[in-house]
Amino acid sequence: MQAEKTNGGAKGPKIEVLDWIEENPQKVQQADIIVGIPSFNEADCIPFVAEQAAIGLKTYFKDYRSVLINCDNHSEDQTREAFLSVETDIPKIYLSTPAGVKGKGNNFRNLFRKAVDLGAQAIVVVDADLRSITPRWIKNLGEPLFQDYGYVAPIYIRHKYDGTITNHIAYPLSRALYGRRMRQPIGGDFGFSGAMAQRYLEGQLWDDYVALFGIDIWMTTLAINSPYPTAQAFLGAPKIHRAKDPASSLGPMFRHVISTFFRLMEAFDQSWSQVRWSKPTPIFGFGLGETEMPPPVNVDEEKLYRGFVDGFKENVQIYEKTLTGDVYRKTKEIAGLSYDQFELPPALWAKIVYDFALGFHLSVVPRDELIRAFVPLYFGRTGSYVRTTQGMELRVVEDYIEEQCLVFEETKPYLVDRWEASKG
Amino acid sequence: MTKILIVDDEASIRMLYREEFQDDGYEVIEAEDGHKLTERIGQDEPDIIVLDIKMAAYDGLDLLQEIRQQFQDLPVIISSAYGAYKGDYKTLAADYYVVKSSDLSELKQKVRKALEGKVPTKKGK
Repeated sequence: MQAEKTNGGAKGPKIEVLDWIEENPQKVQQADIIVGIPSFNEADCIPFVAEQAAIGLKTYFKDYRSVLINCDNHSEDQTREAFLSVETDIPKIYLSTPAGVKGKGNNFRNLFRKAVDLGAQAIVVVDADLRSITPRWIKNLGEPLFQDYGYVAPIYIRHKYDGTITNHIAYPLSRALYGRRMRQPIGGDFGFSGAMAQRYLEGQLWDDYVALFGIDIWMTTLAINSPYPTAQAFLGAPKIHRAKDPASSLGPMFRHVISTFFRLMEAFDQSWSQVRWSKPTPIFGFGLGETEMPPPVNVDEEKLYRGFVDGFKENVQIYEKTLTGDVYRKTKEIAGLSYDQFELPPALWAKIVYDFALGFHLSVVPRDELIRAFVPLYFGRTGSYVRTTQGMELRVVEDYIEEQCLVFEETKPYLVDRWEASKG
Repeated sequence: MTKILIVDDEASIRMLYREEFQDDGYEVIEAEDGHKLTERIGQDEPDIIVLDIKMAAYDGLDLLQEIRQQFQDLPVIISSAYGAYKGDYKTLAADYYVVKSSDLSELKQKVRKALEGKVPTKKGK
């Protein structure tokens, strides 16, 4: 491999500068628009994503200098070769963290640096495992960035059981806190401006979890709290990727996302404590005709219930310290219900989330332990949601999620009062 | 005085809303369709808009997109006789969606809520 090691040319990044590995066969020095594809062992999927992205750049941004960048975690499955061998007129750059340095956030950090180096105005990022991406995604995520917007989050049709962290924590909490409705704050496919890339590169509030799966919520939260306007892009096609059963495979992602979220709450408390209710965010990209329905996601409802009930018993001491008396009593009561009867409703869930955010802030127990103990309650809420929405069409489920968001907004004074009181 | 713009092609609905909201102390202005709506908004500077979807010559959801592009933080409440439009992702660009009813309490509550929302307006939009 003809790899070149460099520290990049970005000026004065405050975040720790890691070595990166760069391969730039066409010697690209400048670009107006970049499509970045973060990856780790995605040799099977990345050619399709790169091809679609290249068509999107060629079709919709033909007057701009464009480049495809694969930001990789030193994959050992020939992701690099698969990416660089994609046949397209659009130049390609391969970037990688050094061997042993993993994390989606670390890939993004390299992308921020490269975007600033190249002087890009617009950067679109799409996941490497996407199976439903079309060239229109690049258009819809990229175009608003040439109209003064600093950040574009996606809206796509997802199966009602895909994106459970989004539906039960990230979306309702982000919306209630910061007052901006962004339906997919951790969607994985984004657009951001060159100015926003520079801001990200400054590394405000960067930490080890942001370097991993915390990157999406970090980017979204910083964008909402930046001076730059935010937008959403309707992508039409459903997000088809490797969807995960929340009962079995979301552990590290949950820990990274929620820890990052709670830590950012501390940093922006002066801002969110003043916000009441929420406002919609502009949406681009309609007019795509009929949208496809997403493929099914299988959820093991009984496993979620069992995870909740068993986890409650294991973590009862942490819950006593973290939850307020009434919330603790109600949760304990629900954990004692049989599988057929149990339900963890949105009103209680909103208070649980707020109690955990405050418990994290006050470090009522070590933070990692607190987040670990949060998982069974999340399983409880997810299991309850699965049960309630089982027979519902997607449209009705969206209404249900909207109602849950309103509950978070209505309950927010509970958080604000407790947070303020904790300052003594 | 808080100014509400009612956009609806049914005169009876506009009259009902006008009377009810005026009684509650709002200034009410009206548009019977979407003709030059964004221009009108720029001139009249309403504090909030109540927007119908299914109008004879205009689609309220298209109008909503136009409004949102130019006036990002202007509250817009969709008031439609059809609940089914709620499933259309375009409605996410509205602050709230209320199904029309002769009882205006939900609409009034949503109007108050939308006006209470405090989000700092960002530069450029």
